[in-house]
Amino acid sequence: MSTLQKTIADKFLAKLAEDEDFDSKKIKQITDLLAADKKPKADDFAKVFASDAGDIE
Amino acid sequence: MIKLESAHIEEVRGIRKLDITFGKDTFSVSGPNGSGKSGVIDAIEFALTGKMSRLTGAGTKGLSVAEHGPHVDKTKFPDAAFVSLTVHFQELGKTATITRKVSAPKKPTINPNEPDIRAAFDEIAEHPEITLSRRDILRFILIEPTKRSEEIQAILKLDEIGQTRAALNTAANRLQSAQKLAATQIDTSRDTLQRHLQIAEFRAPDLLSAVNARRKALGLPEIATLAADTKLDAGLSGGDKLPEFNKASQLRDLDALSGALEKIGPAGAEPATVILAAIARLEADSSLLDTFQRRALIEKGLELLDGAECPLCDRSWDDEDHLRKHLETKLSKSGEAAKLQAEMLGAGSTLAQYSARLSGLIAPVAKIAAGHNDAARLLLDRWAQDLETFRGGLSDLQGLVGIKSRLERGWHGLPGQLAAMLVAIKAAVDAKPDQTAHVDAHTFLTTAQLRLDDYRDAMRKGNAAQKAARFGKAAYDAYCDVMETELNALYDSVEKDFSTYYKAVNEDDEVKFTAKLRPSEGKLDFNVNFYERGLFPPGAYHSEGHQDGMGVCLYLALMKRLFGDRFTLALLDDVVMSVDSGHRYQFCKLLKSYFPNTQFIITTHDRLWAEQMRSAGLVTTKTSLAFHSWTVDTGPLVESNEEIWDEIAAALSRGKVETAAHGLRHHLEYASRHLADQLAARPAFRSDGNYELGELLPSVLVRMRELCGKAADAAQSWGNTAAKEEALSRKTALSESNGARSVEQWVVNKAVHYNEWANFGKKDFEPVIAAFKSLLECFRCDDCGSWLYASPKPIPESLRCACNKVTLNLKSKPK
Repeated sequence: MSTLQKTIADKFLAKLAEDEDFDSKKIKQITDLLAADKKPKADDFAKVFASDAGDIE
Repeated sequence: MIKLESAHIEEVRGIRKLDITFGKDTFSVSGPNGSGKSGVIDAIEFALTGKMSRLTGAGTKGLSVAEHGPHVDKTKFPDAAFVSLTVHFQELGKTATITRKVSAPKKPTINPNEPDIRAAFDEIAEHPEITLSRRDILRFILIEPTKRSEEIQAILKLDEIGQTRAALNTAANRLQSAQKLAATQIDTSRDTLQRHLQIAEFRAPDLLSAVNARRKALGLPEIATLAADTKLDAGLSGGDKLPEFNKASQLRDLDALSGALEKIGPAGAEPATVILAAIARLEADSSLLDTFQRRALIEKGLELLDGAECPLCDRSWDDEDHLRKHLETKLSKSGEAAKLQAEMLGAGSTLAQYSARLSGLIAPVAKIAAGHNDAARLLLDRWAQDLETFRGGLSDLQGLVGIKSRLERGWHGLPGQLAAMLVAIKAAVDAKPDQTAHVDAHTFLTTAQLRLDDYRDAMRKGNAAQKAARFGKAAYDAYCDVMETELNALYDSVEKDFSTYYKAVNEDDEVKFTAKLRPSEGKLDFNVNFYERGLFPPGAYHSEGHQDGMGVCLYLALMKRLFGDRFTLALLDDVVMSVDSGHRYQFCKLLKSYFPNTQFIITTHDRLWAEQMRSAGLVTTKTSLAFHSWTVDTGPLVESNEEIWDEIAAALSRGKVETAAHGLRHHLEYASRHLADQLAARPAFRSDGNYELGELLPSVLVRMRELCGKAADAAQSWGNTAAKEEALSRKTALSESNGARSVEQWVVNKAVHYNEWANFGKKDFEPVIAAFKSLLECFRCDDCGSWLYASPKPIPESLRCACNKVTLNLKSKPK
């Protein structure tokens, strides 16, 4: 990951951590997603945001 | 990041076989146009990335590494074309070799094949921007702002950042749509419950009032408060359970559906009209329809994109980035279609909500029908299924275009005979005897509980969807905030660094230079100060040389921002050719002082610039390589190449006089230029420094004779007989050389000029080669073979060789 991408990713995760709604588990899932793929897919993000939120149809 | 230690190149581009030792230092490769310099850059780039920029991008259609990467004589044997690089990884403290064949560009051989080394090579492979050619400079400077924005974003990998932002945006939108649908389902289940309870307002006291009235009739205790787990039918024992039939409630459900059917025409008519109008526009304008269809196809392709294979046509691209950019460019060209698409999807979403509400009314009536009319139940079940399928087609363009006839018939797809069936079912329910107050109260409570369960379930799902949508939006907003802040900081720092570098190169005349780099609505405006007269686009007033300098400075500023301290390698392919000689010294100073830890591999066709790099200390003799010429058979011919005479002889033995003549001439050009410098010869001065062989070699001969004469005189004055004999012996050998005689004739007789050599026969040319070979031997040490040089300059005191075997004093004994 380039310096710029990494900086943005790190600051993004830090900003989410300040949000009480985002617990450490969810932040870890997003961190893993960004680390695993330079171009994460919308579906993967949607799954992370919907996980632990309850049933979504 | 990395530094290059050495390279071995075989049968790649114009190179047959070449070894270069970089030694992790800045290195220059010089030579005339077409001498194979850029082949070195191509080969290094290929070894590191598997690609050659020269064969990709705009204006390279029909070119490919597979077909045009090997030497032209090896196109059918791509296995023979390969590059092997020895590379040092500073961060790992390791050295490794990567060998990449043109026949298998994606499968390099790495040694040692360790995970951290593989990962480091993978990282470099993603950075083709380490190579900068003059063509790239135009991408930054003389380009419209929208294109500049794209190019610079690509170099900084902002496209990847943009893709992450887009993925977060899509995820947030999907979760928002899911939330809308969940909210519709909440409304539907609440309406169903409310209809059963016959309460105007959906409030707990009203609900409990309706329920408690029935519980009182059954002798059950009243429910005081409505909690999440409250059972409305609590107290009814299992044995007391009666069928769910509640006549009054069923009649209300039937009335609700019948009432909805009466208004079904106007309901949803507006969004359906919007979609039909959009479809009509598409049909009227075939080009718009084509664009629209292509757009849908391209969007699908982008969604499926995963690697360098196009998911639409299976064509293999150099890499995923190029393919993605290609598809995105196609998408961006269809603005009108994009607007139409947004209108259609909005109307589709509204229609989906109407459809979901209708389905909510159908479900309870289908249950009622089950007890009265199997055909009606089947019809209602099919209709509910049909509406669900219909909703599925409302969320994408292809689906919307495909429901044209459905929309024309009536979006709801109401079965023709249903109204009559509902009348019959209602009559059947109505005909049933009125329920006793006990049974009515009982079934009222059990039905209410079932519908409350459905409502609670819809609420749970709705809350989860709302939470997920909130996560999605918060994450998207956070990413956009961070991205905007960082990009503004990036452009600020690039702007500052660019101005600093440019001022360093032009400190004599543009010390107050400033620049502005500002992003706005997908554009990147770039303006520079022109002698304090205001800010203008770089191409407006600045000279071509200044523009070249700006391009390199902007590139360096971008690289610094992209890699930070990890910017350790850059390949600069003939990029400062329009910068004048005075500013080139400053450029050397810039590279040395601002990028002391970066290894630059610099090619140039300009001999003067190559020499300036050496004299400025940017490179040394050991870290520079000069090609004097190139032939298709030999590849680049290296100056001071020990094998030059063998190569000339080999060409002649194959009957290739022209190749041999070319090689001899270029070697003489190189040698005479080198000797003119070494011996401080005095050709007639040329301000452009472009001395012809016919000017240089005669002046070298004159100078050598003069130095040998001076050495003999000096030896005589000191009484050094041996030195006198050596000096006179060299002078005599020079005078007797046939080569020297030829050179002297060039000056007086143009007809015997070296330009005619290519027209010689093999036999005629052999003595020419022998003559010049023996001539050049007069300038070398017999032992170490190095060229003689006069030292110090400009007034030499001795004539020497590298090993000091030749040390001829030039200073006579004072009288």
